[in-house]
This record gives sequence, C-alpha cells and structure tokens, in this order.
Amino acid sequence: MEGLVIALSVCLVLLVITRYWSWPVIPFYIIAGIALGTSGLRLVTPDAVSAFLSELGLIFLLFYMGLEIKPDRILSNQKTFFSSGIIDLNINLAVGLVAAYALGFSLEESLVIASAFFISSTAMTVTSLIENKKLLLRESETIVWMMVFEDIVLIIFLTLLSTSMSNPLILIGKVAAVLLLFYLIVRYGKRWILKLINREDELPVFLTFVAVICIAFISQAIGLPETLMVIAFGAALASTDPQSFERQARPFKDVFLIVFFVFFGIGVDFSGGFPLYVIIAISILAIGSKLLSGLLIGRIVHGQARSGVEIWANTIGRGEFSIALASLYGSAIVSAAIAAMVIITSVVGSFTAKYSGFFGRIFDMVRG
Amino acid sequence: MVLRSINLPGIGTKYELVTDKNDTVAIFFLKNGNIQMYTLPHEGQTPCVAELTASEARRLGAIMTGAIMESDQESVEIAFSALSDLRISIHTYVIGKSMAGRGIEDLQIRAKTGVTIIAVSRGDKNIVNPSPDFIFKEGDAVVAIGETDQLRNFEREYMVE
Repeated sequence: MEGLVIALSVCLVLLVITRYWSWPVIPFYIIAGIALGTSGLRLVTPDAVSAFLSELGLIFLLFYMGLEIKPDRILSNQKTFFSSGIIDLNINLAVGLVAAYALGFSLEESLVIASAFFISSTAMTVTSLIENKKLLLRESETIVWMMVFEDIVLIIFLTLLSTSMSNPLILIGKVAAVLLLFYLIVRYGKRWILKLINREDELPVFLTFVAVICIAFISQAIGLPETLMVIAFGAALASTDPQSFERQARPFKDVFLIVFFVFFGIGVDFSGGFPLYVIIAISILAIGSKLLSGLLIGRIVHGQARSGVEIWANTIGRGEFSIALASLYGSAIVSAAIAAMVIITSVVGSFTAKYSGFFGRIFDMVRG
Repeated sequence: MVLRSINLPGIGTKYELVTDKNDTVAIFFLKNGNIQMYTLPHEGQTPCVAELTASEARRLGAIMTGAIMESDQESVEIAFSALSDLRISIHTYVIGKSMAGRGIEDLQIRAKTGVTIIAVSRGDKNIVNPSPDFIFKEGDAVVAIGETDQLRNFEREYMVE
C-alpha cells in the first residue's frame, strides 16, 4: 500500500510539472516507475493491489477507445482513412519487424515489438494538435483518421496475439457469441440504458464501472481476451450515448491508467543485460520509419511530401498502446525495449510537434 | 460561402466556413468544453488562433449576430423559427443621470418606444417585472425587451446623455 502511495504522489508532482510546461506526461510516469522500482531504487514493489488497479487502467483505456469507434464516421472518410492508414501500417510494421529480428529478438518477440513500434500514441497526438493549435491544418484531419485506423489495427493485433495461444475456431465462435449478445443488449436495451446512464445520482458511474469490470471478468472466465471484449463492449455502447459513458468512465481511466503506467515502469527490468545500442537503434528507427511513412502519406493524400513532415512531427510519440502491448504480451526484455522506445520517441515527438515549422523549413532546404 | 462540419474522433466537432472572398474561418468545439477559433486569410499560410471558454464564445457569437454591446451591456436575440421567424431581443442597460429619480410610468417608456423593462438589478438585489411606479436610481442595470428597432429607439430616446 505504501508503495502505491509513494508512486502515485510522485506521479502527481510530475503531472503538475509537465502540465505547466506542456510536456507529454506518459514518459515521465514510466521514468519515475523505473527509478522507483526493479531497475532503480527498489522503493516500490508491485503487489496484488497495484496489479489489480493497473489492470483496471488498461481495461478502462480500451473501453474508452471502443466508445470512440463509430463506423459511420469512418465510412464517410474512407479515402483518407484507408490510404493513410495502410501506408502507415505497412511501412512501420515492416521496419519494426525487420529491425527487431535483425537485432536478435525471436520472431514472436519481434511481432510484439513491431506492433508497439507501429502504433503512435493517440493521447499525445490529439493533445499536441490541440495545444499547439494545429487543428486547422489539412494534415491534422489526416492525422486524426490515422489514429483511428491505428486503433482498429490494434484490435486486430490483440486478436492475432491472443489466438496464438488457443484453438482459433473455438475462440472465434465464442467471440461471435459475445458480440451477438452485446448487439442484442444494445438493440433491445437501448431505451433502458439511456434512462440509467442519464440519471443525476451515483447510478450511472457505478453502472459503468460494474459493467466494464463484469465484462472483463466474464471474458477471462470463458477464456476470451478481456482486452478485446472491453473494446467491443465500448464500441457496442457507442451506438447509445457514448458521451455519457465517456463522462462516467473518464475518472476511472484517468486515475487507474496512471497506476498502470507507473507500475509498468516499476516492473521494467533492465538487469537481463540490455545493450544500449539496441534501445538507440530501435528508437532511431521508430522516428525514421514514421518519417518515411509520413512523407509517403503527404505525397499521396495531400499531393506534397512536405505535408508529410507535419504528419511525422505529430505522430512520432509512441505511448499508451505500445505500453499496453508490452505489458500484455512482452517478455521482460521486450518490455524494457518498448519502455525505452516510448520514453525516447515521446520526448522527441513532443519537441518535433512544437517546432514542426522548423523541420518543414529544413525539409525545404534539403530539397533545394 | 461554403460551410462544412465534421466530427473528429478524440477532438470534437469542427465547423469550417470559406467566405466568398476565400478567407477561411474554422471553429472547433473541443471535448474539454473550450472552443478554438482559427482564421486563415485568402492566400495566407499561417492561421491565427484564439481559444475561448464557452461563455466567451457565446458573447462573441452575440456580437457577431449584430447586437449592440458595450463591456457592461449585453444582449441576446431569440428567434422562434416556428412562429413565422419571430425575433425578440433582450438587452441590458445601465441607468445614467438623466433617468435617475424618475419612474417607468413617468418616463412613458413603452408608449414612446414599445420597449418593456422586465427586470432591474440594483446592487446585489434583482427586481423582476418592476411595477409602473418603480423609480430608477443611477447605476441600476435594467433588462429591456423588444424588437431590435424598438430597442434602438429606446437608446436614442433615453440612453443618450
């Protein structure tokens, strides 16, 4: 318990400081975790309570993401959505996979690293677009759709990574059954759900909390990946009143996600003999491959490679989803590599997002 | 004029207006309740941005609908589209020396201008629907209701010192 209190107090101080300077806070939680935990001062050790709260952070993050998935919006922006998303996916996944494999990770480890390598931080990107007042840029819309595409790819990753452990047919059957159940609940219970979620008392917030942890628990009990099921549950509820559910789920997401980040850092173990050049190589490639995909997207979607510099500058930071993949499927050494990549890319990313104009001018100079 | 609106996941709702002179104005209703307003001149490269709170945005909106407003006076116009586009304006004024010590009936506000005084705010006290014999004091804030033209008459008749 005291470990949790120490870790969260440090996070509170970090949050206040980073907000004051408008820095991304996620890398600092992880750095604080590393400093306090296994690889650092060993002041805090993970226990059952911190593990449970971290798990809540992860499922509420994914539930919240599910609420944002609205197929009708995606269909109205198909062209940008698919062309930018597919370029982003192919280049970054390929570079990540080849790089990880070449650096000596096994194929399975390389897959996890490549997934984490591909997926940018939606939270950091959206915050940086708003705080750096870039919403009017044509590229901003493309970036937002890229983030949605990445979220959907994450769902596919989670499916693929979890199917490798059981019989895919049984799994697909179970998933289909649960999805049908969600559909029926939302289809026939919509009026009832709307009535409950819009009450003024404590019922909506309690309903949201219990519903999400029940879904997570039931999925575990029947052998389904809870991560997928909470996303699916969020996506099903997106057709009722997503704003109300977001409002209710947000406090849980905000608080427990910080627990998740800091305890991820605490668990990171660099003692497995980790050559510095691997971390640096992966991080540099993570920045470089987003530049490559960004330039190509700029070229194809906006007709000018220069737009790609803006896209690149805002999507370098890897964050919450990379950490989620690492904590779910990464071995100790993979988690350490991903943690280092998240820290480096998000710090560099916040800098490039703020000074993207400068990088644009450099790009012009290089092209002559 | 071209107006388009779009929902951006994670950010909020965007309204973008391209004027006949090809200038761009874009308004973003952010999820945190604030509003960012961008303007980009024709052939311009970098937009100008202002971030507003919800109440600041409402005030700005009221100015842009053409209501007359000074820092301590504000007005809203209500349109009832179902009632053949009935428009009613509500405006606040501060009573000056010339009206101080006189009553609503005495001044013949409604007879002369068509405007009705519906509320008076004096210090921290509010009087809703003041009676005709109500006497104004200097510094009272009054809320007047009427058509825009009637309010303009009221300003010309009474508010000019």
